[in-house]
Amino acid sequence: MKALDRRALLQGMIGGALVSIALPPLAAMMNGNGTAYAGASSFPKRFGVWFWGNGILPHAWVPSAEGAAWELPPIMAPLAAVRDRLLVVSGTRVATLNTTPHEAGPAGLLTGDQPRNGTMAKETLDQAIALAIGSDTRFRSLEAGVQKATGSLSHTGPGLMNPCETDPHALFQRLFGGGVQQPGATADPRLGLRPSLLDAVRGQALRLRAKVGVEDRRRLDQHLEGIFALERQLQRQAVSLSCAPGAAPPEDLPDRDGRPAMHERSRLMSELLTLALSCDQTRVFFQMYSQPINNTLFGTAPAGHHQLTHDEPGEQPIVLEILQSIMADLAGFIAALGSVREGDGTLLDNTIILATTDCSFGRNHSLDEYPILLAGGGALGLKQGFHLRARDDNASRVSLALLQTFGVRANEFGVGPGRVTEPLTGMFV
Amino acid sequence: MAQIEDTLRDRFGDTLVLPPPIEPDVVSESSVSIGASHAGYSSRGVERALAMAESVAQQVTSEALRGRVVECIPSALRDDACVDATVRRWGRALWRRPLDEEEVQPLVTLAGVAAETTGDFFAGLAQAFGALLLAPDFLFRVEVLASEEGAAPLDAYPFASRLAFFLWGVAPDDALLDAAGRGALDDSAQLRAEVRRMLDDPKARRGLRSFVSDWLRLDRLDALSLDAVRFPSFSPELGAAAREEVLRTAEDLVFDRGADVRTWLTLRTTFVNRRLAALYGVPFPERGAPHDRFVRIELPANGARVGLLGTAAFLAGNAHPTATSPTLRGKFVSQALLCRAIPDPPVNLNTAIPEPSAEAITLRDRLRAHAQDPGCASCHKLTDPQGLAFEAFDAIGRHRWEDEGAPIDASGTWNGVRFADAAELSVLLARDERFPRCVTTKLLAYGLGRVLGSDDLGEVDRLHDALAAGGYRLRGLLEAIAMSASFRAAHAPDALTTEAP
Repeated sequence: MKALDRRALLQGMIGGALVSIALPPLAAMMNGNGTAYAGASSFPKRFGVWFWGNGILPHAWVPSAEGAAWELPPIMAPLAAVRDRLLVVSGTRVATLNTTPHEAGPAGLLTGDQPRNGTMAKETLDQAIALAIGSDTRFRSLEAGVQKATGSLSHTGPGLMNPCETDPHALFQRLFGGGVQQPGATADPRLGLRPSLLDAVRGQALRLRAKVGVEDRRRLDQHLEGIFALERQLQRQAVSLSCAPGAAPPEDLPDRDGRPAMHERSRLMSELLTLALSCDQTRVFFQMYSQPINNTLFGTAPAGHHQLTHDEPGEQPIVLEILQSIMADLAGFIAALGSVREGDGTLLDNTIILATTDCSFGRNHSLDEYPILLAGGGALGLKQGFHLRARDDNASRVSLALLQTFGVRANEFGVGPGRVTEPLTGMFV
Repeated sequence: MAQIEDTLRDRFGDTLVLPPPIEPDVVSESSVSIGASHAGYSSRGVERALAMAESVAQQVTSEALRGRVVECIPSALRDDACVDATVRRWGRALWRRPLDEEEVQPLVTLAGVAAETTGDFFAGLAQAFGALLLAPDFLFRVEVLASEEGAAPLDAYPFASRLAFFLWGVAPDDALLDAAGRGALDDSAQLRAEVRRMLDDPKARRGLRSFVSDWLRLDRLDALSLDAVRFPSFSPELGAAAREEVLRTAEDLVFDRGADVRTWLTLRTTFVNRRLAALYGVPFPERGAPHDRFVRIELPANGARVGLLGTAAFLAGNAHPTATSPTLRGKFVSQALLCRAIPDPPVNLNTAIPEPSAEAITLRDRLRAHAQDPGCASCHKLTDPQGLAFEAFDAIGRHRWEDEGAPIDASGTWNGVRFADAAELSVLLARDERFPRCVTTKLLAYGLGRVLGSDDLGEVDRLHDALAAGGYRLRGLLEAIAMSASFRAAHAPDALTTEAP
């Protein structure tokens, strides 16, 4: 088994050169003719959200033509190389109340409800899907980020946020370091003792659970779920042994002149997420490219992103440039998934990416014409290279369609004005 | 989350090496303390907790530390009695209450089996420590009532925890747990003696730092980011230095000088390192001192920079990366110092401020457009008048004389009294009776970890009167809160889930 020399690859990236990655699933994991994982009937389905903060410019977002013959609108220009892997869904709105700028939009799309008391009213779409497809991997889901911040939209329930990892080195350690035994390395003696330790903790947590109220029981259940996840990780270790990740990435990438190295950070995190998915460490991810209301100084912009969305006059050419640089990073991620072969297709074919943001027009926080950009998922039947124009429809219908695609037995999504009972038609071939 | 790390270091010494924090702090109602009352642990958090538990367990049973951690000498590879005693002692310290028999037994068995597996008594004991540290009883604060009757107060042990986390920012020490065990905290005189002992302990300084950090949201300074082209003196360490200045000033005010809290707004004394001294344009008195050295200095007697609102923590912490924000600065003054509610802007508002033009050059002039629109004015009149007083300081907190080449007007009116600049406004704010009342509210909410409701107004009034009667010294307020009925009362957590309309 030949390990990829990850260090050389990453050094090239930090120097600024775009390096495409090629990480074929290792032969040990495949069946004889390389079309599927050994013992499985097909490649796993994956789902992930790719989120950026501060909305879009509606005039530069919606493609003018519908169907297969659409052209990339200005914001999406950097996605040219992956245009044929995109499904733009326009013409939907988040119908839940616009209670809190930058929060109501993603809450509406991902839970079908408005945010309540500063948190999500229920689990977010990624976690609902993770419940259905995440139980066979070491991590039920992975939350990562590019902007250095720990906040996350991914929630397992009210008050139960899944923080994102923004340090590439720490994410690598979590995926492949510490608890995972590398091929040929000496076993950590503590690993053998872990199951009984976890068992003792579970016993204590259950004793405590019997004594507390309903609200706290929910928080304890989350702790118990974490213990269960650790046990599952120990059991799944054998699988991860067959995937050789190579050397760890650098500790972290420093800012330059007060400006974060968003592109370099994004490339590193895209690589690691690609690796996590291709090594089947997880099948669900949430990438917080940037946070809601973030004031990141992009490129040579004269002010922070959020401030510009409100203060830049006219058609906001600087905001457009920022959005284009974000889309370039999204294109890099999509291309990275597309470069990993899985049987006759690629990892991208087996992955649906939902790329979205926290409102439509950043200047006034509108929720009409909600930005929904899907990518990949060809093997799951998602239309490729297509612009689906809905007619003032409810964005919850997109969420319901995604839930059903991943086998969640749901015949409705959302509550109140966010509630729908039919998925959006026309997304799948 | 810092409470976990600080408690471990407090108990096992500063040599303890701790992995990264388990979970990011959750902010609710502008407070980490209140956020923690609702937050849970994610799967990633439990993973990190395991890493912390295993690492700490290994360190405290290592040859370097076992001498002060394990009081018995193991008589055999498997010595259940020695494990039992160790688990009871450290279980009480870490779970902040004595352990039941049914809680001790599984840990003794766990350690015994692991000792036999590994052939090492201490490797076995490490397992028991690991389980103590990963248990929810360590990771959560469990508040239990003294009895099952309706309005029963907290049991003595969770009350001891509340006291210790409030006054020290760490778990109770053995003396406080002993006091809880013998019922001393139920007696007013003994409780007062215990609270005074705690306030005399150096750990009370950490507790104060923790409150001030939460109240003024100094955690946000970690992410302080300014355009380095426009502000060449900006560096990533500035945020940490700015926070340290405020925290040292608070310690000095409360514990070293026992001064009136209102003077915080008008002080000309502060603590700076070389970077902050350069930013403030004052000479740094020590040549060749390292960057992290802070010294007490006096600010120029007639300058506009004075007190808490003259610090980089306030001025840069409430600005945009490239420009000042009178609105953010004014909002901070209203919300953090006076506890006035400022409504969030309407969701669908166009918040653009006009670009500089011949008619409106300075930000003050440009914001006037906001003030003319009645929809905007209703809120901006609550923030901008006092925020504009700080326009003589740019987005990093450096003094300036011009904005876009035009002279700056930092004057305004507060409670009907004219002020010429930020220093004069600070004097007016220090006289505003809402300020000490707001400090009282913030400190009580912090200690209780919840938003105060209308039921709490009587307690706030009483505590505010006590603060005034004691010469507005915060130490007295800390003591009064710790002794108050509210502090002993249990409060059900606010439900986070509400039914859809």
